[in-house]
Amino acid sequence: MTANPYRLLSALSVAAFFATWYVITAAHLAPANLLPSMGEVWAAFVDVLHNGYRETTLWEDIGATLGRCLAGFLLAAVTAVPLGLWMGRSRVLAAFVDYIIQFMRPLPPLSYLILLILWLGTGDTSKVALLFLAAFPTIAMAAMAGVRGVSHLRIQAALACGATQSQVFRHVVLPSCLPMVMTGLRISLAGTFSTVVAAELMAASNGLGWLVFSASQFLRTDLVMMGILILGVFGMALSRGLLSFDLWLVHWRGKD
Amino acid sequence: MHRIPLRAWTVLSAAVLVAAWLTLTWGGYVRDLFLPPPDELWDGFWDLVTDGYKGRTLLEHLEASLWRIFAGFVTGAAVGTFLGLAMGYWRSVEALFAPFIEFLRPLPQLAYLMLLIIWFGIGETSKIILLFLAALPVSAVAARDGVRNVPVQRIHAARSLGASEWQIFRHVVLPSALPEIFTGARIGVGVVYGTLIAAEIIAGSSGLGWMILDAGRFLRSDYVFVGILLIGLMGLALNWALVALEARIVHWAGR
Repeated sequence: MTANPYRLLSALSVAAFFATWYVITAAHLAPANLLPSMGEVWAAFVDVLHNGYRETTLWEDIGATLGRCLAGFLLAAVTAVPLGLWMGRSRVLAAFVDYIIQFMRPLPPLSYLILLILWLGTGDTSKVALLFLAAFPTIAMAAMAGVRGVSHLRIQAALACGATQSQVFRHVVLPSCLPMVMTGLRISLAGTFSTVVAAELMAASNGLGWLVFSASQFLRTDLVMMGILILGVFGMALSRGLLSFDLWLVHWRGKD
Repeated sequence: MHRIPLRAWTVLSAAVLVAAWLTLTWGGYVRDLFLPPPDELWDGFWDLVTDGYKGRTLLEHLEASLWRIFAGFVTGAAVGTFLGLAMGYWRSVEALFAPFIEFLRPLPQLAYLMLLIIWFGIGETSKIILLFLAALPVSAVAARDGVRNVPVQRIHAARSLGASEWQIFRHVVLPSALPEIFTGARIGVGVVYGTLIAAEIIAGSSGLGWMILDAGRFLRSDYVFVGILLIGLMGLALNWALVALEARIVHWAGR
């Protein structure tokens, strides 16, 4: 019941933001090439939607960015989750690879992009490899922590009831650590989305990051702002989407 | 069970890695350009320490990066924490700012760097504003959630003992929220650090990120490796420093 006035307040605050923008541009308080009006940004959007930008259509750019992002993320997910689960079970394996992951985790991905470009060229391979490496440590650490956090009582209880090791894993360990794994996946997807845009700024000839970078070189502020708004919408959609998938899949989260 | 201590496996694993590195480089299987051998790496490091890179010593590049992180993070975390505390305390403040925070948080930081460069030039200002904007939403969300998660019973207990609103905030809400604020600060430092290196790579003429990119363009992979190792070590050090600070200030966390 009380949600409505707050909704209204949020809407008012967003409206005030756009109104300020409108007043500044309508009254010419800021140079037009630094702050385009809302109409100009919309016109840029319609123009790029119909005619594309520098021989790429808007859909190609969106597809390129999302494709790279998802390719790197999925590759990391299918390799890092099993490795992390295994590391959680086997202390020897954890001792073998943990320090490498610990070093990789705080390392900013763009710092080794130049190395990947040197090794793999400027094509999509180096970008997908970059995103893979950026997403990998977070997911692996989350999966490992998830397995380590499974209550021993539950495992002992299942074993005492005659469950086999694989049954214990399938019916006890996996459901117990899935909330952690999903949290790790969500954090790393957000990181991957930031990284893909950064990588496209450096070396690419399509993608939303490239579009923003290229437009800024020509001082097309209207296109830059359009690109930022599109990226913001996709960023929110990605994080919301994975969050609702998480809540649907791990419906037992927090009900221990 | 474990006759061999776990640490031994770590040492063994590192030994395998180093052995592979030595065989690949000194054995001539990989060109120095792609993977420099240990002696070249050391020479490169020594060069950077004594002669520096393009007019600045390694220490000066490090200092430039650290200063930017400090300026951007401290301002962003301070404003974000205040905003987050207010958002957690008053629903109306939250309603006012939430749309912008929710938009800014998942937005790739480098996307708005381009806009900041158009507005403020490629100097220090645009980089520090970038880092400020990167740290702000993370801190704000952490502080808001920290205030939200304060058990209502504690507040009621304090109120029934006659505490004023300010006393409740100072002695109940703030101490309860501080652990989450610190967790937010650690995540924030990570984000700011990653963003800074990226920002220096895109637009800069000093700092570790710029040094790596520039060295990479001239195919000086020994400098690139030294730079990456340093960036990694500095990231670890920043994290450790915050953990130590957290343990000192929020000694009641988890109790």
